[in-house]
Amino acid sequence: MVLTTAVQAVEIGKPAPDFTATDINGKTVKLSDYKGKIVVIESYNSDCPYCHNQYKTGAMQALQRDLAAKGVVWLLVNSVNPKNFSHRTPEQARQEMAAAKMDVTAWIDDSSGAVGHLYDMKTTPDMYVINKDGILVYEGAIDNQPDPFHDPSKAQNYVSQAIDALLAGKPITVSETKPYGCSVKYAD
Amino acid sequence: MEPALKMWNRDFQVAIRTQPEGCGYRMMAKSLQTFRQIWHLINVRRIRILFAACLCLAALTANAAHTQVRLMLSADTARPGDTVLAGVDLKMEPGWHIYWKNPGAAGMATKIEWQLPPGVTAGEIQWPLPEKLPPAEVTTYGYNDEVMLIVPLKLAADLKPGPLDLKAKVSWLECKEACIPGSGDVQVTLNIGNETKTSADAALIHLWQNRVPMPTQGWPLRAWWEKLANDDTRPLIIELLPFSQKPSASVEKADFFPDAYDQFEIQAATETIPDAHAEFCLRKLVKKFSGDWPKEISGVIVEEIGQAHSSFNVKISVSNKVTAGETISSTANQPSALPPQPLWRMLLYAFIGGLILNIMPCVLPVVALKILGFINHAQHVPRRVRALGLIYAAGVLVSFLALAAIVIGVKAAGHHAGWGMQFGSPEFIVVLTTLITLVALNLFGVFEVTLGGRTLSAAGQLVSKQGAAGAFFNGLLATALATPCTAPFLAPALGFAFAQSSSLIILIFLFVGLGLAAPYVVLSWNPAWLKFLPKPGAWMEKFKIAMGFPMLLTAVWLFNLATGDYGTNVLWLGVFLVLMAFAAWIFGTFVQRGRAGKGVALVIVLILVTGGYAFALENELHWREPIVAATAGSLKASPDGIDWQPWSLEAVAQARAGGNPILVDFTADWCLTCQVNKKTSIEVSSVRQKLKEISAVALVGDYTHFPDSITAELNRFDRAGVPLVLVYPKNPDAEPIVLPAILTPGIVLDALDRAAR
Repeated sequence: MVLTTAVQAVEIGKPAPDFTATDINGKTVKLSDYKGKIVVIESYNSDCPYCHNQYKTGAMQALQRDLAAKGVVWLLVNSVNPKNFSHRTPEQARQEMAAAKMDVTAWIDDSSGAVGHLYDMKTTPDMYVINKDGILVYEGAIDNQPDPFHDPSKAQNYVSQAIDALLAGKPITVSETKPYGCSVKYAD
Repeated sequence: MEPALKMWNRDFQVAIRTQPEGCGYRMMAKSLQTFRQIWHLINVRRIRILFAACLCLAALTANAAHTQVRLMLSADTARPGDTVLAGVDLKMEPGWHIYWKNPGAAGMATKIEWQLPPGVTAGEIQWPLPEKLPPAEVTTYGYNDEVMLIVPLKLAADLKPGPLDLKAKVSWLECKEACIPGSGDVQVTLNIGNETKTSADAALIHLWQNRVPMPTQGWPLRAWWEKLANDDTRPLIIELLPFSQKPSASVEKADFFPDAYDQFEIQAATETIPDAHAEFCLRKLVKKFSGDWPKEISGVIVEEIGQAHSSFNVKISVSNKVTAGETISSTANQPSALPPQPLWRMLLYAFIGGLILNIMPCVLPVVALKILGFINHAQHVPRRVRALGLIYAAGVLVSFLALAAIVIGVKAAGHHAGWGMQFGSPEFIVVLTTLITLVALNLFGVFEVTLGGRTLSAAGQLVSKQGAAGAFFNGLLATALATPCTAPFLAPALGFAFAQSSSLIILIFLFVGLGLAAPYVVLSWNPAWLKFLPKPGAWMEKFKIAMGFPMLLTAVWLFNLATGDYGTNVLWLGVFLVLMAFAAWIFGTFVQRGRAGKGVALVIVLILVTGGYAFALENELHWREPIVAATAGSLKASPDGIDWQPWSLEAVAQARAGGNPILVDFTADWCLTCQVNKKTSIEVSSVRQKLKEISAVALVGDYTHFPDSITAELNRFDRAGVPLVLVYPKNPDAEPIVLPAILTPGIVLDALDRAAR
């Protein structure tokens, strides 16, 4: 049931479902507040080797910096349940964010899994790009190398590709891919 | 502590706990302590981050010890030109799993990179059947505990004799609460010689090879898009038609594990669609990422027969629509509103349902008859009691087989069949009313069915025949009476039966029959338990007469049913019944017990029966051409009763669109449970008031004459008959609440409260 409704709710070319959540600094984050800006949503778990590879190599941070300069909003969603050892308390998350030099608009504490389920996030990482009108334009893998040891700088990054096309006013060539990675460690 | 270190530390402790004797781990423990000391010395943040990253990566490889890998061969020595099987055996620690060639929604397929000398070629990996791994929203396919991936190695014909080193790098992703990529280098030596010597591992390899899905060819498999939706998710129907190549054991559960594709994903959830014409029929959701919709798909068909799993590699071409002539049954087109149930549970429900029928109001009077029969025979030879028990069971089973045959016949004729449908036939009601009236008179002692006590002692042989016939008749009668009482357990079992093949219908009906007959068979085979039955005596006659009254009540109820079919003309059925009662009295008093003038009495009986039939039934009642009385006017039971409106799909849609909760009662005149539900739990002041409070719409669906629209709706909820009471919530998108077969006001009020939220 949850599966079907989620599949119907999140669809390329349709408005991205709105949500209100709290970030690790206790601030309220509402997706619709960012209307007029391009938004990237990333499902994240740094203990997952696939996410870890993107951050270890600095590729993800570089992309975040580049996009921030272009006025793109980046929402990181961590849906790991509190019982899993990969869960981060707000304090741990703030440390991790600073240590890894992430450049994101907000790190959403989604330990309930509400946002993850709303967007039907399957893996970490699972990426979403929303255009200035709030329409979902990309969903899926971060790049075309489903491997935890590859060099991301040599891979084809679907997120930067989609945003480049948006900014250039061109059609997006790859708008949906199969996300790869570890399963999201949702609460039961 | 930094997360990376925290994670490493924890995994490390797991490793120590599970492998206490591994000295390598102890060494690692020591080095961990050293790491910690260094850690505290490092103050520069940037270095700390870099260090954490490296440390984490190191930890990931080092801790891939949750899976152990080993390479083995089916032969120690092989000849040039042979094919040797290589087995890559992966053993996981408890709780850890690795992935199949299609990992599913997450994970990574296990990989083997061979480093083989010239002249040795590795074939495709043969993957044993994986398991579906939870959670449901991110289903993956993988292996727990252990798996052996099998790879055929082809040896060139010109290989020189001598030892060959075969090497491979195996890499995998192992997951428990976290996922860790692991890899291992494996190596084995193969001798090339002039004879083949199998290895000690050959048996194990062949054992795993048995778990690899079997190849198939020419199976009547087909797949088509159920809806050609334009968005990126489409439902796909996969169906296997029955055919002779395959063992004919009935498939209890089937599934399809698809291969992995880049451009689309066949999702893991599988819905089984009941389809009498197919071995199985499945619905899968396909999500497209890019490109065109697939024209062909491949994967593994998994069939569950008893405890055993069989699996087959298949390729299926996908068509846009079912082609003409390949019709699927009407039930298959309609999504079932309830999840399918396994066969054993259905048979259990059928059996329990049969047992419960024994104490349902419409069977209880017959039970009395049967108990009397047992008491009569308890003093006789146990063998005869036993035989009577079995004959009774045979009577029940034969009539259930007959019912099954009727259902199958009706199904074949293309009609929707509904449980209790023989009660919709007015002729049946007339016959049964007459029969029950006579049974009541018999209990009152107006006449005897058997030849009576005197003849009983005179001709033992004949009595045993009478007893046998009586037992058989009891069995038949119990069945005929049981049908309108759709006991709670029976409803889903029969709902299931109607959507099944003929053999399954027979099986389910037989189980209901077995349940109905079971107590008596058990009693007859354990004659000792018969001693617990009351001793025969003068009370028996009184008890018998007393039991005649519930029987009379049954007759009145049946008579009332006939009103629906004959209107006010039903008076003539009453006249006929009185004439029959008069004939029965003359027969009992003057033919059976009289001393003189038996012949004259018998003639009068015959005149009464034939005359009564010709005049009352044929001439006045027109019993074979009933007029269906129009049900016009208000459906209200009383001025302040619930304002029932007639049920229709449009009425439901209209009320839902208006945002009203809806109470739907599917009922029939012949359904006792429905009447009891209505009286005790629906048409009561608390429910009336609640309905007004939440401004709910009340709809009643009358199933007395089996309208097709209601049969279809019942089927949609996997029910073969009434009662069915539904409560639709106010929210027009929410699913209706299905109430249990037997209601209390609390259940109804609770459902209405939920619906109003």
